[in-house]
Amino acid sequence: MGESSGGGVLPTPESTSIEVMAHLKAGKCTTVELIGHYLRVLETTGRDLGAAVEVHSDSALAAAQESDARRASGKPLGKLEGVPFTAKMNISTAEGTTDAASGMLRGFKANEDSTAVARLRAEGAILVGKSNCDEFAMGASNESSHHGVVHNPWDRDRVPGGSSGGAAALAGSFGWAFHLGSDTGGSIRQPAAFCGATGLKPTWGRVSRRGLVAFGSSLDQIGPLTRDARDAQLVLSVMEGGDPLDATSQDFDSVKTPTETSAETISMKRIGLVSEGLTDAIDPEIRQRALEVTEQLKNMGHEVVEVSLSTLSKANACYQVIATAEASSNLARFDGIHTGQRVESEDLEELYSKSRRQGFGAEVRRRIMLGTFVLSSGYIDAYYGKAQQVRHEIRQEILSALDTVDSLMMPVSPFAPFKIGERVSDPLALYACDILTVTANLAGVPAVAIPCGFDSGGLPIGLQWMGKHGDDHRLLDLATSLQDQDDAWRGLPPGGSQ
Amino acid sequence: MSWTTVVGLEIHAQMATQTKMFCACRRGSSASANESICPVCVGWPGALPVLQSEAIRCAIRAALCLHCDIQEFSRFDRKNYFYPDLPKGYQISQFYRPYALGGGIPFEREDGSPAELPLVRIHMEEDAGKSVHESDGTSRIDLNRCSSPLLEIVSEPLTMTGKEAASCVRSVRDLLRWVEVCDGDMEKGNLRCDVNVSVMPEGSNEYGTRTELKNLNSFVSIERSVLVESARQIEVLTNGGEIRQETRLWDQDREITESMRGKEDSPDYRYFPEPDLPVVQIRSEDIEEQRAALPEMPEVRLSRWLNDYGYPQLETVPLMARRANGDYLEEMIKEGADPGSASNWFRGEILRHLNDRSEKIEDFPVKAKDLAALIVAVKEDRFSGGRAKSLLQEALDPEVSLESLIEAAGSQEQDTDALAEWVDQVIAENPDAIAKIRDGDMKPMGFLMGQIMKLSSGQAHPKKVQELIRARLS
Ligand SMILES: [Zn+2]
Repeated sequence: MGESSGGGVLPTPESTSIEVMAHLKAGKCTTVELIGHYLRVLETTGRDLGAAVEVHSDSALAAAQESDARRASGKPLGKLEGVPFTAKMNISTAEGTTDAASGMLRGFKANEDSTAVARLRAEGAILVGKSNCDEFAMGASNESSHHGVVHNPWDRDRVPGGSSGGAAALAGSFGWAFHLGSDTGGSIRQPAAFCGATGLKPTWGRVSRRGLVAFGSSLDQIGPLTRDARDAQLVLSVMEGGDPLDATSQDFDSVKTPTETSAETISMKRIGLVSEGLTDAIDPEIRQRALEVTEQLKNMGHEVVEVSLSTLSKANACYQVIATAEASSNLARFDGIHTGQRVESEDLEELYSKSRRQGFGAEVRRRIMLGTFVLSSGYIDAYYGKAQQVRHEIRQEILSALDTVDSLMMPVSPFAPFKIGERVSDPLALYACDILTVTANLAGVPAVAIPCGFDSGGLPIGLQWMGKHGDDHRLLDLATSLQDQDDAWRGLPPGGSQ
Repeated sequence: MSWTTVVGLEIHAQMATQTKMFCACRRGSSASANESICPVCVGWPGALPVLQSEAIRCAIRAALCLHCDIQEFSRFDRKNYFYPDLPKGYQISQFYRPYALGGGIPFEREDGSPAELPLVRIHMEEDAGKSVHESDGTSRIDLNRCSSPLLEIVSEPLTMTGKEAASCVRSVRDLLRWVEVCDGDMEKGNLRCDVNVSVMPEGSNEYGTRTELKNLNSFVSIERSVLVESARQIEVLTNGGEIRQETRLWDQDREITESMRGKEDSPDYRYFPEPDLPVVQIRSEDIEEQRAALPEMPEVRLSRWLNDYGYPQLETVPLMARRANGDYLEEMIKEGADPGSASNWFRGEILRHLNDRSEKIEDFPVKAKDLAALIVAVKEDRFSGGRAKSLLQEALDPEVSLESLIEAAGSQEQDTDALAEWVDQVIAENPDAIAKIRDGDMKPMGFLMGQIMKLSSGQAHPKKVQELIRARLS
């Protein structure tokens, strides 16, 4: 990278968070130098991509100074000491705004860190800003944010995926930092795949949702978007575990530190290649890549078998019903009375409808209406009730499949990143982005997406692996062993950084 | 044609917990508006509910005293509706899987015979806040009550009069107070009631269309509204009309019910399982722990009093009115007072004092143990009844302890010198009376006693006085 203004030598741009920590430990640069430069990356590349919507320079530099002081005085250092990170706009942070990329919450200050952010900071990680996303995390292209669209760093005319599009564009374009996203139906994995980043959706309940602006509570999980699986594992190990302020959170076993990661022993020996993930509906280049990686896994000593998930075709419809139902209720609190922008009116009914019509964007309104409909008297059994039934079937099928194999493998997205604006007016085409990702959310199981090369157009291809509840670290071990085979993932897009 | 009235009850009882249901905010706070609130109870984005175990313990006690079948697994659901005092836009309730099924409310028929109103279920839910509508048209919202724990007790329909319906609610109120689940002050709104009323021709077993009377907040309004509403329905039916299934409001001043909304306008609450809360598990250990912590139940206490203490039924009424009354009485008896005197003192001195001040026994400044000591002293003839009462009067001053008064007064035996002087004085002043007594006419004895008592300001012990006079005259 070259010298920083303070005279220290900065890490190379593609360096992972773990490599950055080693760099700082070796005294090659100070944390203030590192953070100072990363803030400039956010201000330039991050802003240019539309990915960074807030840069918290003052608080980040103050934290960096404290970190340097800790290091200088020999005080104990955190597991993520000095590492910069961003939080998605729907994750509460003490500084800045948490507007979920919605005009409804314009200027909303949470004033308190979410549990995940607080745990990361307690281990020395430094919050540097907030990332763009789809409004209330509803979308797969990051085109519904009131902060504007995000551009894919590999092709700026294309979408970065969504809803954690900002986090993915940042992770895909520059190293050092990690980025917190949230995944309700693929919102971490799909943008990670589109932008060439690693993304983990943890087991539901593994990471506290406290401080996450809720979309579909039974599906939502906060997770990391990083350069590689080792970083994801470290970040997860810091933020995971039961939280007294989230009754649905819990501890899971197999917490590992990344230094212990595999390579010696094969994690997840038996891999199930999901045949429904390789149908004609999936881009042939992506299918081809999946088969090549399968061969690679075999060479590494894995057994790969084909597994059929007959429920996969029902998953997206099921997801749309459950996610919108929960969203319609979760977003009711933005009523203009207590929370959310108010449009004044003499009449209460009118105040509600005007505030909500003006505050919410079109996609959010569409989902609220859908969700309200599927829960309505006369329809609830046919839609929500049926979807709950199907969800149960999906869960059963996944769990019984995971009795025969350790992990289920699929592409993340059925197609490559598409052009900005290409699908924005066609909700069904956008919902199709989720067909391979929603299953993990519906079943509550962990899934990791890693970059696995590029298509002929030079666009990243991502593949994902699902595991049993609580198998997050084993999945990350598997991902690490794959990433150790081939470091193509290290490459940054041309012009992605300054 | 003769008509029968059928009544079903939905009773909402605020649980008397320290905290709210899903956060650690103080419940029942008398703090000024919006002071007892936090991100959870105001539905701040990202805040999540966490069920407080105290609410569960309270709910178990309620289910035990109404003999319900407590479910090992129950679940919370969201009841969705928009209202300014409901900041989340939904209320966390139990719709599909309530924690308690069955059970019944014991009550007394108008003819005095015992009966039971069977229950469908009890479920837990959170309360909403309060909207205060000002005369200038503005509305203010106070969220202090928001997310306080409630029980909703839902009965089956039963043939009942208005008076009997009120008696059911009173019975629930008394029981919930007894087990310290609910303060039960209807005027403060911590017990509210919705009443379903229908009528059918006598002898029929097919219920008529019901109407629902919302938010009744006194026993009188329950009794009167059932009477008035059933009369209205009978009149409609007699005139060939039909009853519309609807929600009606009771106008207490005009003694009429008025239509609020029809069934077709009733809100669609779109209930679905609350994804932020895990399934509630109530294990048998949890139930047994609460059962063990239950106080002696009223029917058990009453029969013990009737049998062991020999109290006449009527005498027990004020003693049974509140559990704390009986607890105080039992404490006196445990400390050595005999049951008869304890009851007399309670119904006499104590209740008079409390009624004068509209206070409760918890406010009574004298400890049961000290009052018991006084009763024992009277029994042992160390004080006269009159002297004891005046000591108790003095001890009603919170600054004064009865224990030290008893100690200071010692027994009236120690006053022998003063007593001897008064006796000598009276003997000297009444030679005629003395002469009569010496002649064997004991009639003037009462007069002499009276004189001595007057001199002693009522403090002389009559038995001692009598003994002294006899000693002087012999
Ligand atoms: Zn609270």
